[in-house]
Amino acid sequence: MLRGTVAADPTRRVVLAAAALLPLAAVSGCGSVDVLATPPSEAPDVGLLRSAIAAEQIMIAHYGTVLHGAGSPGGGSGAAGLTTALEPLLAEHRAHLAQLQSRLIIPAGRSASASPSPSGPAAGAHPVPTAPAAAIAFLQAAEEAAATALLARLVTAPSSLAQLFASISASEATHVPVLDAVARGPAGHAG
Amino acid sequence: MSRQASPAPQAAGTVSALQAALTAEHAAVYGYGVVGAYLAGRKQAAATADWVAHQEARDKLEALLRARGSQPVAAAVAYRLPIRVRNSSGAASLAVLLEDRITTAYLGLVALDTPAVRKFGALQVQASALRAAYWRGSTVAFPGLPASALAAPRRPGAGSGG
Repeated sequence: MLRGTVAADPTRRVVLAAAALLPLAAVSGCGSVDVLATPPSEAPDVGLLRSAIAAEQIMIAHYGTVLHGAGSPGGGSGAAGLTTALEPLLAEHRAHLAQLQSRLIIPAGRSASASPSPSGPAAGAHPVPTAPAAAIAFLQAAEEAAATALLARLVTAPSSLAQLFASISASEATHVPVLDAVARGPAGHAG
Repeated sequence: MSRQASPAPQAAGTVSALQAALTAEHAAVYGYGVVGAYLAGRKQAAATADWVAHQEARDKLEALLRARGSQPVAAAVAYRLPIRVRNSSGAASLAVLLEDRITTAYLGLVALDTPAVRKFGALQVQASALRAAYWRGSTVAFPGLPASALAAPRRPGAGSGG
């Protein structure tokens, strides 16, 4: 089993590929350089982590797009309120991403993200609507989908990662009513 | 070696995590009685709904324990509350504290290997985080996770910030 690469305590990191590389090289023994040329398949938890990282990057890109729209001249009168409401949620997604990335050790020359292009990770798949109400509804749906996806991922994840996924999933679930309040207008303040 | 005769360690871990969550739910059921007493209107209705949710979660945990042949821990007659409630804002603060403890207790279930228990725990983590966010009036990045469980991010060179 590849359970040896699993982070038993949260401060330990999932070692990307490197742990699997060593035994492979040892078995093959001397000679072939090809062994090191082809990276071995990743441990399952590395795949889970990469998917979660990619999902957070997409979410951050979505928020960035909506905030950019709110900050533009055509943003409308409610744009300032929108920015105030969305910035804390974006900050939490950035914290999620940093925490997920900290669980990976990335060998030199490899990228932590699932997609190598840092500019717009798969953000083009579902373009963010420009109208504020539609954009908020879009973010709500994206938060719900992200929270649900993490629930599915955590079932097979190692314990420590499952707990992090559950916590992030819960955080994303709490963003939904906040966005709902934003959609209903400035009167919808919770506290 | 003294525990040779006990069921598999995994099962023992499951039972103790379920009992910990049940203990937290007993305290929440008691605590929400106090929370509701200091509230009125919509907030009181919210507290009542949350009180019912905790009773349902308690019943579910008791059923999970009985299904494993374990006697569920009983509720205490009274609980020492973490803060003294004197008004509505104190009531909301107590609800936040209760929910935060519950969230952490359910994260204990998420660490278990039984998929059904893990899933139940994760859904309850969501539910309690939602209630906590309502009473707190804001959200947090890592509901239920103590700071000690979080690695200090080391700024991975990806430049994904802003």
